Amino acid sequence: MIIFLDNISKSFGANKVLKDVSIKIKKRECIGIIGPNGAGKSTLFKIISGSLLQDRGFIIFNDSNIDKLSIDKRSRLGISQSYQSNSLFNEMTVKENLMIACSQSFKVGWQLFKSLDKRKNIINKSCAIAKEIGLTEYLNSKSENLSYGLQRQLEVGLAIANNPSLLFLDEPTAGMSNQETRSIVAMIKKLSSDYTIIIVEHDMDVIYSLAKKIYVLDSGNLIFQGTPKEVKQSKLVQDRYIGIKK
Amino acid sequence: MNAVQYDKKLRLQLFIMLCCSAIFVNIFGDYFTRFLLSEIIILSLFAMSLDFLAGRGGMISLGHAMFLGIGAYSTTILFINFNIDPFLCSLLSVVIGLIIGYLIGFIIVKTDGIFFIMITLALGEMFHSWAFTNDSVGGSDGISGIERPILIGMDLNDPTFFAYYLLIWLILVYAFLAAVTDSPLGRNLDAIRQNSGRVLSLGGTVKLYKSASFGISAAIASLAGSLYAQLNGFVSPEISHWTLSGEGLIMIIVGGIGSLSGAILGAAIVHIIQHEFSKLVDWWMLLMGGGFILIVLFLKEGLWGLILKFKNYVMENK
Repeated sequence: MIIFLDNISKSFGANKVLKDVSIKIKKRECIGIIGPNGAGKSTLFKIISGSLLQDRGFIIFNDSNIDKLSIDKRSRLGISQSYQSNSLFNEMTVKENLMIACSQSFKVGWQLFKSLDKRKNIINKSCAIAKEIGLTEYLNSKSENLSYGLQRQLEVGLAIANNPSLLFLDEPTAGMSNQETRSIVAMIKKLSSDYTIIIVEHDMDVIYSLAKKIYVLDSGNLIFQGTPKEVKQSKLVQDRYIGIKK
Repeated sequence: MNAVQYDKKLRLQLFIMLCCSAIFVNIFGDYFTRFLLSEIIILSLFAMSLDFLAGRGGMISLGHAMFLGIGAYSTTILFINFNIDPFLCSLLSVVIGLIIGYLIGFIIVKTDGIFFIMITLALGEMFHSWAFTNDSVGGSDGISGIERPILIGMDLNDPTFFAYYLLIWLILVYAFLAAVTDSPLGRNLDAIRQNSGRVLSLGGTVKLYKSASFGISAAIASLAGSLYAQLNGFVSPEISHWTLSGEGLIMIIVGGIGSLSGAILGAAIVHIIQHEFSKLVDWWMLLMGGGFILIVLFLKEGLWGLILKFKNYVMENK
């Protein structure tokens, strides 16, 4: 088991956003979290990444309690995320974006001398990641000039630059065309053999094609968990979520 | 806040041109021109320290003249009270500026935008009023008696030698800042300026990076303050007044924020305008204000942007 969320609860004032949510994820597992708007998916994302603290419950990551760790400390432990809306370094090229991310994993970000452009280990790793995410031919393009779909791919690239044990993807296909969606799904499929992945996603076809196990949230409650086949057959999920979507 | 376009080669070319101009002025200028040149070099050091902080880290400090004051006062106190060699005083003032800058940075870099500006302004004013009211550092009268160093047999009381001495410091600081700008720390500061939340989520120690850059910037400003005290043989609280921080910011905006060499060009132009135009007309500030507004409105990358456009034009029509 790589991460265990034990009875996580969170309220904003009187509004209970998460109610005793417990999730266990094994190494190299790709799981999906689904639910209608307001189900608590984004809150759960923020709690796992460390940008929000839960009111109750524990998060155990690799046998350590990480409740009190900040977002950067969690990242250094191996929890990496890509955001729902692109969060890149827009004035930089694809290569520079990846080099910044790699400089954290090589722990050289504070160093004062030797140009970043002359550090072979960082350049090689950045190029390897660019290949993995299919952006080799765009290495010298400014990230703000990339298409939305390619920016999403770079977003995932930044997340994997950190050698994560757990990769958390928040709506990786949001706002994408069908072709872009197919491309990023293929990319995540390739990554799923190397990483433990949690995907929060609205597009059920994406979830069905990627996740081995799906957790369904509704109004802050974990109402169902099972394989894609079981989710498809579940009347509860059909009524509460998929039915609503139709 | 955006920094100017990154062009290392042009940055170096402009720096070499400015240094050659300084050497030319130092050879052929009279006593007063050399004094003006020395002031410009010291202000250039101060502007470069602000340029590094604002251009790389996106931190706008309105209290940075405090570090000029720390450098100037520490040099003077170390020389007068402990009879330490003036050159060593300058080195020690750099260390003092670095330590104080890092500690202050560590506390205040959590804030940004207007809050950061106001905190730096408040700290600068606190230092200024301390120096202004404290008799042990001369109060409003300041302290005199600081001497210039004598290095490898050269008496730096000679204005020509002193200007060269300052020029060497300028070259060293430029080389240092150029190296830091291209280093992992410099590039991470660029990234923080663009999207600090993302650097944090990638595992970057944003607070450490920002405090370190604040310390580096403070150390360079302290060096400028130390050299300023040696140039004038005197230090007063005016050196740490917030208006000097404001002038420093005007210099880097005129030169082009983040261009490093542009900061030197900005310092030279602003100081020459202040110095020469004030002799000609009483309303020189109006003139400078108008020029500044025009630059902000039409040259967002300052004079650096203009030079870059000219270079691109020449390259295209080659």
